[in-house]
Amino acid sequence: MNRLVGRRTALLSGVAAVAAPSVLRAQGEPIKIATLTPLTGAGGSYGPVMAKVAKAVVDEVNAAGGVLGRKIQLVSEDDQTNPDAGVRAARKLIDVDKVSAIVGTWASAVTTAVAPLCWESKTFLCTVSGADSITQLPHQGYLIRTQPNTVLQITRTGDFLVSLGAKKIFTLVPQAPFAQHSIEIMNGVARKAGGSHGGLIYDDKKTTYRTEVDQALRFGPDAILCAGYMPDTVVLLKDLYRAGYKGKIIGQAYAINQKLIQQIGQNEVVEGVYTYAPSVAEGSRALERVKKMSGLSDPDPYTSQVYDHVNMVLMAMAAAKDTTGTAIKDNIRKVSQGGGKAVDNAIDGIKAITAGEKVDYAGASGPCDFDDKGDILDCKFRYEQIKAGKPVLVKIA
Amino acid sequence: MSLILQALINGLVSGALLAVPAIGFTAMFAVLRFPNFSVSGIATLGAFAGYVAYGAGLQVVGSLAVAFVIAGAVGLVLDRVAHLPLVKQGALPAAIASIASGLVLENVVRLGFGNDLRGYDRPIARDMHIGDIRFSPQQFETMAVALAIMLAVFAALAFTRIGKAMRASADNPELAALKGIRPQRIAMMASFVGMGLVGMGGMLLGLDSSIDPLTGTRILLSIFAAAVLGGLGSPLGAVLGALLIGIAEEGAVLAVGSAYRAAVGFFAILIVLSLRPRGLLGERAF
Repeated sequence: MNRLVGRRTALLSGVAAVAAPSVLRAQGEPIKIATLTPLTGAGGSYGPVMAKVAKAVVDEVNAAGGVLGRKIQLVSEDDQTNPDAGVRAARKLIDVDKVSAIVGTWASAVTTAVAPLCWESKTFLCTVSGADSITQLPHQGYLIRTQPNTVLQITRTGDFLVSLGAKKIFTLVPQAPFAQHSIEIMNGVARKAGGSHGGLIYDDKKTTYRTEVDQALRFGPDAILCAGYMPDTVVLLKDLYRAGYKGKIIGQAYAINQKLIQQIGQNEVVEGVYTYAPSVAEGSRALERVKKMSGLSDPDPYTSQVYDHVNMVLMAMAAAKDTTGTAIKDNIRKVSQGGGKAVDNAIDGIKAITAGEKVDYAGASGPCDFDDKGDILDCKFRYEQIKAGKPVLVKIA
Repeated sequence: MSLILQALINGLVSGALLAVPAIGFTAMFAVLRFPNFSVSGIATLGAFAGYVAYGAGLQVVGSLAVAFVIAGAVGLVLDRVAHLPLVKQGALPAAIASIASGLVLENVVRLGFGNDLRGYDRPIARDMHIGDIRFSPQQFETMAVALAIMLAVFAALAFTRIGKAMRASADNPELAALKGIRPQRIAMMASFVGMGLVGMGGMLLGLDSSIDPLTGTRILLSIFAAAVLGGLGSPLGAVLGALLIGIAEEGAVLAVGSAYRAAVGFFAILIVLSLRPRGLLGERAF
């Protein structure tokens, strides 16, 4: 009997000896999250700095002790602003790296393609894409976005154009998930204000838009919304200038910016052109940190949003005491909204959470509160006008 | 009506620019017998080579010459090293290898210049109007340069020894070799001139718009469709094909909407392959 017990004890301790290192190993293993940003392609001027800031947040949290006693490892992949490449990269992140969250998908087409892979593998996805269709996907909660959706963006832009006195608005938009919806929404805004509206969807891989511009000008617009990305908008603005168009032009600030002005190289082509963008949280401490991390004096909204993504994901893990995508899904709103101690970075947040406090995160891109579908509830917009080759602030509203 | 006329003119202008790389593509096919898809990378390379030359103070013609030489030389090396050793196994392995080398080139350019858009620092002028029709003086200038290049190519093919040798070799390599034409030399010539033309095409297409590492990839389908439509291997066919593709792409904007432009190329290839696989002018028509 004694011998039997002795053998059982011996067996047990043997099992324990084999099992223990693996338990220790699991505790020491880093938590993996990923950025999937456009390092190349139309979004190539944003992706690298987005990935850089995400890395800086992770380094900072690691230096402060990590999450749940574990280090975080950030894997960065390039979606090439291209759905095919995005899916390949996401497959690698999910299947090989086994990350629990992917942050920073930029183009709507890429996010639309990558999202199903994420919710099927229970990987959490944070995106900066604006197309309405994205949060309407059956993502079961595995997706949030910090970018205002198309309805919010186009409605505000339309209201702005109307406030400038525009009566006949024309929308030129590339073939993208937000294309048709953009035209419909602008149509509604223009008609509601007693004006009229026309629209055209174009192919963003053309080297000239003369025929498209002809069609737009035949409508006789006094304001044109160029809702494309930078490469196509460069060609479009040149062709509008060549065609002698003298009315108002407005476009996304991600397409019409200093790089575009420099690229066109002739100030009168872009003189008076308006831009709009979801505004960053001007004056916030979080934005100051983003400035430091990115090395930019004026960080773009996407970089600010990715900063918020990483902070929220890490805090959600701390609140869940678990690092899976499902744990993030179930806890992200517990750290992003609903009152509690106001925090603007994961280090303070994790400390408070560990001390048993409820936190409410507000970051570099805004308050970061989400509805059930994953859309942000509130956001300010920044309108600028290009004068003598420089964007000048018109208003933030 | 004037809308259609305008689209026709716009199509002719963009078709003329497309014709230059399409001639290069089809000439290489005629001699080397495989579709060389690295034209995407070479067109990008030519555009950037021309951009650097233009920035250094050369005029358009001088920059085009630089684009021609650099694109031709790199294209020649790629053919020697990566593509031609595979042709013995068939056209398909070589074609696949050329897709790969196109990607490599694109990324080499990306490594050197980054992803930012760049534009030739050319003044942008307002268009002239004749009745309802708009003309861009600059685009006609660019088109004239493209036409001059084409004329030079055809003159060389028709009247020079090397041009005649190239045609002979494309027509019947064995017979040409019997007559003392060295196939190796002709192949190298075809690689160099063909890729040089593609490089110039990349620059011409970038002159009025903008260039980035994806410039060549954007026009690859149109070049291929133009060559197939005209008859792979026929330079004159490539010109005709390019003009038709240019007009069809602009016409598609009016008929079915601009978003379906990419379908034009595929549709043209589909129709040609199912109704007239030799292309409009047949395979080896000059």
